[in-house]
Order: sequence, then structure tokens, then C-alpha cells
Amino acid sequence: MAVAKLAVHEGAPPTGVFTRRELRGDTVIDCDVVVVGSGAGGGTIAAELAEAGFDVAVIEEGSYYQTRDFTADTSAMVRQLYREGGATIAIGNPPVMFQEGRAVGGSTVINGGMSWRTPDEILARWVSEFGVGTTMAEMEPYFERVERRIHVAPMDADAIGKDNHLLKRGADAIGWKIVGNLRNQAHCVGSNRCAFGCPTGAKQSVLVSYLPRALHFGARVYADVRVDHITRDGKRATGIVGHVVRADGTRGPRVVVRAKLVVAAAGAIQTPALLVRSGVKSPSGQLGGNLSLHPNCKVVAIFDEDVTGWQGAHQAFQVREFADQNLGCFAAVNLPPSVVAMSVPHRGAQLGALMQHYNKMVVAGLLCEDTATGRVRTIAGRPQAFYQLADRDAANMQRGLSLLCELLFAAGARRVILPFHHQTEVVDADDARRVLSGPIRTSDWEVVTVHMMGTARMGKDRSAAVTDAHGFVHDADRLLVADASLFPTPVRVNPMETIMALATRAAAHVIDNARRYVS
Amino acid sequence: MTGFHFDASARAVLRSLVPVLCPADAVPLADSIIDHLELTLGAAPAMMGRGFKLGLLAYDLGSLPRYFRRAHLLAGDKAERYFASWEHGLTPLQVQLARALNQLVGLACYEQPEMTAAVGYAPAPWIEKVTRKRLSVYKDDIDKQARQILAPDPLRPAVQLKKVAHGRR
Repeated sequence: MAVAKLAVHEGAPPTGVFTRRELRGDTVIDCDVVVVGSGAGGGTIAAELAEAGFDVAVIEEGSYYQTRDFTADTSAMVRQLYREGGATIAIGNPPVMFQEGRAVGGSTVINGGMSWRTPDEILARWVSEFGVGTTMAEMEPYFERVERRIHVAPMDADAIGKDNHLLKRGADAIGWKIVGNLRNQAHCVGSNRCAFGCPTGAKQSVLVSYLPRALHFGARVYADVRVDHITRDGKRATGIVGHVVRADGTRGPRVVVRAKLVVAAAGAIQTPALLVRSGVKSPSGQLGGNLSLHPNCKVVAIFDEDVTGWQGAHQAFQVREFADQNLGCFAAVNLPPSVVAMSVPHRGAQLGALMQHYNKMVVAGLLCEDTATGRVRTIAGRPQAFYQLADRDAANMQRGLSLLCELLFAAGARRVILPFHHQTEVVDADDARRVLSGPIRTSDWEVVTVHMMGTARMGKDRSAAVTDAHGFVHDADRLLVADASLFPTPVRVNPMETIMALATRAAAHVIDNARRYVS
Repeated sequence: MTGFHFDASARAVLRSLVPVLCPADAVPLADSIIDHLELTLGAAPAMMGRGFKLGLLAYDLGSLPRYFRRAHLLAGDKAERYFASWEHGLTPLQVQLARALNQLVGLACYEQPEMTAAVGYAPAPWIEKVTRKRLSVYKDDIDKQARQILAPDPLRPAVQLKKVAHGRR
């Protein structure tokens, strides 16, 4: 029997992908549309527009990898696939560590592959408060289109690992709502390496779905190219100027792209900085503002029984009992030993004693729908995020932790380590409630995120929003934003599918108005 | 990604910290742990690497008033007590450096193959096994998805018509 390939492109780089190996001298590229960023927004809009016949060039700062390049070497993957080796921090008290993908395929290469539609009530809020036409009725065809492309499906039962079954056991014991996760995967077999590049090819990231499609329809992808700024003629965006990033990180030859339409899809941290570097101003004062990030935190639960959580799918279930109380979900998120060791305050012999239980651990996290907003400032051309966890959100997370501990103890956990720098371990649900009903110093929290949103928010009113309802920058011409920067508010669920659906919608708008935008 | 290297004195400080921060079975791996730390900081922002080196220097010299010797020469209880004094230090910078040291050295420690094997983590053979299973058991569905990725979308004929109407290409 012939054996299937890991993914559409494996082996020699496909036609249309150019990397620093090919870009050895200064390069000038002409195209209809230049897309900055190749992740959930950039890859999607590139494929949609290429299929419609536009000449599309995608510019990506990160490198091009294939599925076979994704190995079990965790830290090598982090260094290759994460911006600044994952050491990106939003300044505040506590500082919030966040991660951005930097590779062809963007953050979809390193995310967990959760594919949820924007909740109805969030879309309704966007319509009523921000005047954007994003009712579920309008968005549904775009969600459907995205879900087909990236193969959104429930998990195969035999790929679900013990850590997730324990999470479900706990939720079922208490009677809380738990749902099977929808993920962009074609027969995920549970390697649990989503965050380090799916090595089996099952996760249908942009790298193995939308970008092969874009290339198939004639798009070109330029990897290892950092965009310095968007060029403009008056208010009209006319292309980009960038440079090749050499393997040692130094500046290489210049790359100029001349285009009729410029799409900024570099993510909610990089996009506002790119716009600011390019001299784009928004009278709304919201460019770089309105940063929300679904702060999340994790606990480590130790069980008596063997768990071996790395054998099984990532986040096969989500507990949604408290989603309407700003606690988006609880989920089991297996981490490699090195990341667990980094995440706990233990050290020395104590760390060794804890890690001996590695295969009896369930690492579980919660996602908070934040009410505070931060800001991305552009300092010397580089973005720096600032975010202060609100007391209200910290209190909500504290309550969430207590509930999560209750669930884990109901599932049979013997002890749970809380996400505080001062070491706190609880041994039963009452203990957790007692510890978590007291004051926790803000600086003691260990908070992380991968959901950055809102820094070029869309809205009808140009005095309150950076872009219009489709993502076109209000005070510029032919400059479109297509990433999570657009979100007026946090989305409560994993943001990838919302980004893709909005990008699909924006592409349809461009296609339907081609003379206006690409003539 | 730039080359990042510790000089001999920074390596000495880190070597003295491995027994404080890592389990005893990691102590023979100190040099590999420090090499790994260099790789991690090489991928991090340059400012972070510079700050880390300065922090190590401050940590090394900070022991002089109390112990009359630099930190990299401390061992056993003294090394432990000195690190704890930074961990619970009076200044935020001390606390932050101690946390960063604990996190980064802990990460590097459990990236060592000997340490991952000791805790029973062996992802490479597991990945190989499940990949083989996926490619054989689900071959037809995988091929179908690959075809779907490249197929023209029947739901968008209007786009193609518009392309003609606009006279493009």
C-alpha cells in the first residue's frame, strides 16, 4: 500500500517559496497584493486572493520549515519557531510572558489548533458597540469556508490521552459542562507536540493548508524577510521595503515590493508597530491601544496513577461551565519536562523530587476573558507591550484557580501546585479554597498568554477605531489589516478561526471591489 | 539569532549554581546545561542576554561583604543560603534575577537527554509510532484532505466570473 505524505509539501521547497538562500542580492518584486505575515490572517487572505486571480506576494520574517523539520527537540523548536526564543514579555505587574510564532505559517505552526467560532454574543457586541457587520448570519459562510479548508473536526477517540480523560472525569464528577474540542486536524494521533510544530502533519496549520493553496494558485512566499516599513504615496499604500534576515540575525540584502494593495497581518504586537514605523496615524488614538490578551495560568496536579500526558492529543476537551463568567475555559495542556521545570518555583532536590512524578502529572490551565487593556508602544521601531493585570481579572483568575483545583481533586489529584512564584501547594479542594480565598500579591502571579488582540481595532467610527469593518485603515488608502489586531474586544475563545473568518470576509470584499482596491 | 557566549567567570558562577538549582543527578551535566543556556539566550533579545550577564556579575560580587569570597567560590550550605538571600531579596532586581536563573537553568537542565530519560519522557519513538499509524490507518482521509487543499472552490464561481468581467489577466 502506498504511504501518504506527511503534508502537501514535503521534500524540496515548493515552487514559489523563496528564502535567504535565493535572495542573495537586492530584490524588487511587483505584484497586486503584498501580504506582510503568513499566519492565520496573512495565509488565509493570500490563498483567497490568489485563487481569485490576484498576483500575491507573502512576506514572512521567519523561516520556511516543513513537517519533517519538526522534531522532539523542544528547545531547538522554540528557538527556530518562536519570536525571540519565546522570551517576549508584556511589561507590567506581573509581567506577562507571551509567545508569537515566527515562521512561515506564523503562530498557527505553534498553536494548539483550537478552532472555535466567535461566540454569538461577542459578535453581537461588536455589531452594537462598534458598528461592524459581523452578525453570525453574515459570518457563517466564512466560518464554514475556513472550517472546510483547515479540516476542523472533533478528535478521534483513540488519540485522547489520559490527562484529558482525567479532566473529563473531574468535570463529570461535579457535573460541569465539558465539550470535546474542535481542532484543525486531520486525524491527530496525539503526539502532543502542537506547540513545537506538529511532527505528524495532522495539525492543519496555515503552513500545510492555506499556504500550499496560495502557492498552488500562483502566490509567492518570501521567507526570512523582515519588513522595515510600508511605502506610501500620500495616504495610499504602495508596497513595502524590507530586508533579508541572515541566519545570524544580521541585516541582509534589501527587498522592495511594489503593490496595489498592502495587507498587514503580522499579529497584534507587530502590526501596530509596522503601521507606526510607516507613519500611519489614527486620530482614534487606538493604534497600539486596546491590547487584550486572555491572560492564562496553569497548575500542576500530581496523581497516584500513571498519566503519561505526552501520549495523547493536546486539549482534547474544554470545560466551559464558567465561560459566561469571564472564565473562557479550563483545559489539560501537557508540557515537556523542561517547560514544567521552568514553570514551577521548585529548585534543587525539591525540583528533582517533583519531576520524578512527571508521568503522573496533569498540567491544566484556565483562560480569562480580560476586562483590562494594555498598549503596544513602538520604541526605536520595535514593539513593546505594556499590560497591567486588572484587580478584577486577578480576582476572577483566583476564583478560576479554586474551581480548577476542585475539578482536579474530584478527578483524583493528590496535590496541586499553584502558579505563584512563592511556592504554594494544596492538598485538597478545601485547602485550595482556603489558600485562594486569601490575598495574593499581584507580583506573585505567573501569567502567560498566546492570544494577543485588539491593537488596531475595527469599527465604524473613525474617531474610535483604527480600521473600518473590513480592516481597511480609516486614514489610509489601500492598507488592510488582517489579524487579531482587528478585534474590538477579546473573543473568549481561541482566536485563530475568528482571524481566518475575518480575513476570508476581507478577501471577499476586495474581490468584489477589485477595481477600487487593485486597479 | 546571534551567537551568545558566557565568559569564563560567568560560566564559573553558573557552574556553582547548578547544584543549587538542579537535582543532584544533573550536577555532572553542568557544562551541557550552561551550553544550553547559551543557546536559549542567543535566541532571546540581545538586551536580555546583556542583562543576564550583568546580573551574574552582580550576583558573583554580591557575596563579598558577607562571605568574603565571590559567589562562584561558594559551595554547599553557603551557596544555598546565598542564593536564597537573592530569591527572597530586598530589591526587585535580586528577586527577578533569582527567578530568571531558576527558570532558565531548570529549563536547560530538563532539556538534557539524561534528565528527560530519568523522568520517563521519550517523545521521539512515540512520534515515530503515531506518525506511522496515521499514514497507514488514515491514508485515504489524508489524501482526501490534501486534494481538498488544492482544489478550486466550487462555492466561489462568482469570483472567477468577476475576474473575467474586470478584464484582469
